[in-house]
Amino acid sequence: MNAQKGDPTHMQTGTDVLVAEGLAKHYGPRHALRGLSFTLKAGRMLGFLGPNGAGKTTSIRILTTIMEPDAGHFTVDGISHKQPDQIRRRIGVLPESFGLPKQMTGIEYLTYFGQLYGRTASDAKAIGLRLMEEVGLKQRTRSLVSTYSHGMRQRIGIARALVNDPVVVFLDEPTIGLDPRGQQELLGLVQQIASDRGAGVILCSHLLSEVESVCDDVVILSSGEIVASGAVSEVIGRTEQNVIRIRVPTGAIDDAKRELEAIPAVRQVLPTSGQPGWLRVELDEGASDDHPINNRILETLIRADIPILSFEPEGGRLQDVFLQLTAGAIK
Amino acid sequence: MSSSGAAPVWRIVLWRELRDQWIGGKALSMILIYTILLGIYAYLFASNSELNLLPLNQMVLEIVKAAIFVGLFICLIIGADSVSGERERATLEGLLLTPTSRREIVAGKFLSALAPWPIALAVAIPYWVVLSKGEPVLRQALLWGPLVGTLLAPAFAGLGMLVSVWCNSNKTSMLVSVALYLVLILPAEYSGPATVTVSPQATERSNLFQLANPLAASDRLLHEVIMGNAPVHQVWLWVTTPVVFPIIVLAVLFLYAGPSLRLEAGMKWLRPRTI
Repeated sequence: MNAQKGDPTHMQTGTDVLVAEGLAKHYGPRHALRGLSFTLKAGRMLGFLGPNGAGKTTSIRILTTIMEPDAGHFTVDGISHKQPDQIRRRIGVLPESFGLPKQMTGIEYLTYFGQLYGRTASDAKAIGLRLMEEVGLKQRTRSLVSTYSHGMRQRIGIARALVNDPVVVFLDEPTIGLDPRGQQELLGLVQQIASDRGAGVILCSHLLSEVESVCDDVVILSSGEIVASGAVSEVIGRTEQNVIRIRVPTGAIDDAKRELEAIPAVRQVLPTSGQPGWLRVELDEGASDDHPINNRILETLIRADIPILSFEPEGGRLQDVFLQLTAGAIK
Repeated sequence: MSSSGAAPVWRIVLWRELRDQWIGGKALSMILIYTILLGIYAYLFASNSELNLLPLNQMVLEIVKAAIFVGLFICLIIGADSVSGERERATLEGLLLTPTSRREIVAGKFLSALAPWPIALAVAIPYWVVLSKGEPVLRQALLWGPLVGTLLAPAFAGLGMLVSVWCNSNKTSMLVSVALYLVLILPAEYSGPATVTVSPQATERSNLFQLANPLAASDRLLHEVIMGNAPVHQVWLWVTTPVVFPIIVLAVLFLYAGPSLRLEAGMKWLRPRTI
């Protein structure tokens, strides 16, 4: 099957749909973005992470043609950023905060946007109805969007982002403000978009666990620069894994510290400030490669009759990588 | 993706704006208030013993001016909400993310800001007819009132939109628009043809001052044609401003502000470079 430009139904999985090279932006003397380079492939989801002020919004605004970069360039489906109208035809965007007109029903809203993308009213309506079904709003097509719940608003926002069959979909904090069930359902929907449509999806989120669970690739920004990028598993694997956090009853903390310090591979044991009962166990370099060390620690505490309330090897989660890489940049 | 037979963007935007304004109630409520105000004004002229002493031409002039100036205010306010209001309601970004011409978006919004004017005029004309009691002054009112209003309505809708494009907050946009309106209307209300003897230089300065202000010039024009029944060749100078002012405003709107419509407010050279 040959990939055809602008037609995601013919988009081959693995084709580069977004290529950014050396994007930079400054506001006066402040550099908001420096040398942003990454590639997004069709059918894959890329998590876009960074603390507040890291440059995520600036990046998204540049990539969605709302803002022009000071340096660098990017292409969407092979189209240069110097043709913003052509790029807008190929992208779908769910901004972090978006308003809905009060006087429109769900289907009118999607028809309106379909028409703005050059469709006839009947085509736009047919596509709108299909999308409303796809995002689970079939029963509310004729309700005013002003009566929608927050979760429904996010869903119609996603439907709007898909109205032009985009090659790349940008979702900025789509699950913010949703309950856990709503988050789960929405993420399922987003995954479906990437897999069924073959579109590349960029997911901006502060919920690192959700990025870890649904994204294939990740870009972590800090102070306007990429500090990590690649497949999620690769990025997680790069982090320091020589620390274990253990929680014991506060009365047993001294005993636990003494017992753990006696283990040869343990470099030091420190109580975690502000978290009573928590100990940070730092291991010698390379000790964590020898996984039985975890068993050894557990065995020591059990033999000493110290109850273990929690046991968390650090570095095995995206959150740990994020915190390590962005330390000092979190505002 | 464009299908043949797809509606032009300006018409799609216009249709949505009209729905928002008329079903949403903003324009409708303003027109209702306008109708009531005009009714009260006309009733006072017809029934108040002191106002009743005014010459008929003067009464017609006052109600024509009121109808035009309040109608223009409505266009200005709706224009002032058109872009900054969307920014504030976070609906502008979605619109700007579509592959549509900025100028067409502005054209749709402009036409919707202009829409209250014909309705205001339709509401006002019966009052003019009733108040003029069928006297010949009605002919002048029906000729010049709609002409002046129709020339100035695009200018005021456009002026409101310019303020709206350049203001980040809707409140600022409204305040600036109201301030501009007051700056234009107050001198218009306190000027007019000299009724006392003044030096020729003072008269010339006063005329220039009125000529520079579209509302003052329109006021003077309406005064000349309704009160003085002046022929066109005597008032052409006062027609100049209501013709030139809209041309300037619309040129700035469609040639400069419209194509550079952005998510961030402000003039192009004051903000970060955007596409």
